[in-house]
Amino acid sequence: MSAPGRKPTVLELNTERHTTAIREGLRLRPRMAEPPPALGDRRWTADLILATWLMAETGQPPDGRWEHRVGDSGGGFDRLGFRLLPEGGWLPEKTPIDLSIPLNRRPYDPRIEIPVPWYGAGMSFGSVSEQVMLARAMTAREWNTFTCTGEGGYPDALRPYHDHVITQVATGMFGVREETIQLARVVEFKYAQGAKPGLGGHLLGDKTTVAVAKMREAVPWVSLFSPFPFHSVYSVEDHRKHVDWIKTVNPRALVSVKVSTPTDVDMVAVGSYHAGAHILQIDGSYGGTGAAPEVAKKDIAMPVEYAIPKVHRYLAAEGIRDELTVIASGGIRTAHDVAKAIALGADGVALGTVELVVLGCTRCANCERGRGCAYGLTTTDPELSLLIDPAWAAERLGNLYTAFQTELRSLLRRLGLTSVRALRGRTDLLTYQQNDASRPAVGGTPCTSQQ
Amino acid sequence: MTAYSRYHIHTEPCPNRFPHPNRFRVRVGRPGLARHLIHVLIRYRANLPVVTSRPCVYGTFSGPVGGFAPRPECCVGCLRCIMEYPEFVEVRPNPERFSLGDSYFTPDKVDTVLQEAATGQVPVRGAGYRGAFGGPGWDGMWTDMSEIVRPTRDGIHGREFISTAVDLGERPAYLRFDAAGAVLGRLPQHLSLPIPFLFDVPPASAESPVLYETLARAAGGLETLVIMPLRRLIELRSPTDSCVPLVSPSEVGMLADLPAAPRMLELTGWDASAHATLRERFPAAAVFVRVPSDGDLGPLVACGVRLFHLTASYHGDAGGSFVGEVLRNTHAALVQAGLREECVLLGGGGIITAADVPKAIICGLDAVALDTAALVALQGRFEGEVLERATARIRLPRLDPAWGAQRLSNLVAAWRDQLLEILGAMGLREVRRLRGEIGRAMFQAELEREAFAGIAGFEG
Repeated sequence: MSAPGRKPTVLELNTERHTTAIREGLRLRPRMAEPPPALGDRRWTADLILATWLMAETGQPPDGRWEHRVGDSGGGFDRLGFRLLPEGGWLPEKTPIDLSIPLNRRPYDPRIEIPVPWYGAGMSFGSVSEQVMLARAMTAREWNTFTCTGEGGYPDALRPYHDHVITQVATGMFGVREETIQLARVVEFKYAQGAKPGLGGHLLGDKTTVAVAKMREAVPWVSLFSPFPFHSVYSVEDHRKHVDWIKTVNPRALVSVKVSTPTDVDMVAVGSYHAGAHILQIDGSYGGTGAAPEVAKKDIAMPVEYAIPKVHRYLAAEGIRDELTVIASGGIRTAHDVAKAIALGADGVALGTVELVVLGCTRCANCERGRGCAYGLTTTDPELSLLIDPAWAAERLGNLYTAFQTELRSLLRRLGLTSVRALRGRTDLLTYQQNDASRPAVGGTPCTSQQ
Repeated sequence: MTAYSRYHIHTEPCPNRFPHPNRFRVRVGRPGLARHLIHVLIRYRANLPVVTSRPCVYGTFSGPVGGFAPRPECCVGCLRCIMEYPEFVEVRPNPERFSLGDSYFTPDKVDTVLQEAATGQVPVRGAGYRGAFGGPGWDGMWTDMSEIVRPTRDGIHGREFISTAVDLGERPAYLRFDAAGAVLGRLPQHLSLPIPFLFDVPPASAESPVLYETLARAAGGLETLVIMPLRRLIELRSPTDSCVPLVSPSEVGMLADLPAAPRMLELTGWDASAHATLRERFPAAAVFVRVPSDGDLGPLVACGVRLFHLTASYHGDAGGSFVGEVLRNTHAALVQAGLREECVLLGGGGIITAADVPKAIICGLDAVALDTAALVALQGRFEGEVLERATARIRLPRLDPAWGAQRLSNLVAAWRDQLLEILGAMGLREVRRLRGEIGRAMFQAELEREAFAGIAGFEG
């Protein structure tokens, strides 16, 4: 906004006009009788989106008006539920429930714990605006968890939050510098991304603005491809060299390895362990992206629901499960998805798309087009990105985290667990719905088997 | 000696020529808009650049009178307008789109094919996957990738070479020679295509000379083939060596009317005598036998048939099972018999997206015959469920062969590029290596059993 006494510019007035209207829409829409007819898709139904907006505003789980636990994809998390104890067996309301997880399970290197079993997934500068990155970093600091730079450099605005920002090193090495590796407590190698496994990164030319190009040390308005794979890694030994490189530059850093979900994802997990990784992030094929070939989103690599138990069991069989933190990502939309991922065998999750939905994303899938997102999220357009005020956005993200925390604690209490760590790998607490017939109607009352 | 040239498909923008329904309908309540404008006129003191600032960055309200005459063709469904002005703006999915395609070739898939045919490019979009988790048919199958492989994605951009060539000719395990060293019997025919696609014979309701001319022109440019009924081929004004006659046993006598010896022929149904006649009459041609996928190939193999075109319904149904499962079984049986390397399996039915091609090849096909997708690329409109060649009704617009051939070339280019993406992700250098590689695919039923076995309610 304009400085006191100065006449606001047209851009400032336009930003104010539209920002006010969008925020009012985010407040009103979940309270209207019917969902907008064109909102939502099978993974992110209108109900899920509206419920997320409501949580972002109130900081509370929705009151049941919108189906906020499952989407309508007909598989994976949307078919899983929990076997809750009878009400008499629930833990008392006041029982402390611990949601913290360790990010380092090795007997050496710094101990880092986060108080909630999630952190923010990588989203690069270029795929999202600096304002969005900043808001995510502010929330990460507030919650003592992390967010991740993605592969697009490290904007200066993030430096005050460096203790809560994971520096990502990916195949294009865009914006990777020794100093940004030294800033981080966790450094993430992105080998592959769930939404485009085996294809590398892709930033279309329209979004490679002068600022983005400068950050990435590239040419403006030219499409930028991160190659696939790392051209320096063809074995676990090469992978080990990568980890050693990071540890040489920043001996205190934990190393996370982000991989996709091939048929041998379990072997990849073991390889990452032997290479010295502290965290393995398995990114399922239904995750988000700023731009990807449609064929890659659906048809390459398995959904994370299948990959988690595969990795968990194999690591356990190898006797190394308790030395590696497994983070699941790629399709985690709700607190229930968080709990299901952990029950399938993950330690925690990384949140991506849901954080954008909190800020107004309607899942229209035009992130890559022209100036980018009409809501100022997945854009670097200097005018559109002003639609997001980092402080407002951080407050909404914090509210979502609060709602997730409340819901997760409530779920654990009804499962009779005092710690989220005790949920890991407890597939015996899950139920599977063989068909969709018993799904609650959209916006309807919760069904008994799927609480 | 000819100089080496890398296979290349010429693409160029080739927009739809016939009306196609917009994705959305946009309705603006004019009284509400008028009231809103008065409000902002006052609020912003008639600052016109602010008052006329519109919520749509895609131009839906950028016409001369803004929201009073919205342009729904520009709407991409971002819904910012309905967020900002819920009282008087509404965006709905366009119900006209429900009539596109049918229950298998859904409107979204029609849109994808049309986009590919119009641009020749791989569809790229933001956000994640938006559809069903898995499902029957190809949707319940995922292809593999590798974290550390070569060739890399560079292959897609031509800096490394990934071959999409396939061999359709006979491949005897060995040759026999007489005492003088001369080859005994028929020499194997060499028939290679640079892409694993050819065009199948279209449904009877869509047939016309201009359609066949379009298909033949496209096939010629792509260096591939088009299958057409023998009578249609004889009638064609300018047949090319890309044309493959589809011959029924009763039509063998008409072969004399063919303008030139074809490189490949297809015999519909099994008739030993007709098959022998075709092989004898066209010794340099590959003679395929067109049979249903769910039939038993054993007797035909015993009769020496090695080249098969396996058919299924346009929805991928093969005798009550999905064609992918049937192909896996057929491929496995031939492997078991030690004959797979001698046989060629060409197949079609239910292959309507670029991703279906590598999946069908993984299930056992050598190459794919495109059917309904090609007609959708030409803006053919389905009338009812399109299931079988004899009964399917597809209404094609008036075709210009040059436009149609470019649309088909664009479609094939986009599909080939997506095939390269998938091969690159797997680290395969050639599509021939993909055939029957079940280990490079993941099947929903198997993944579910592995992941969810033991979970209450799972019956896998």
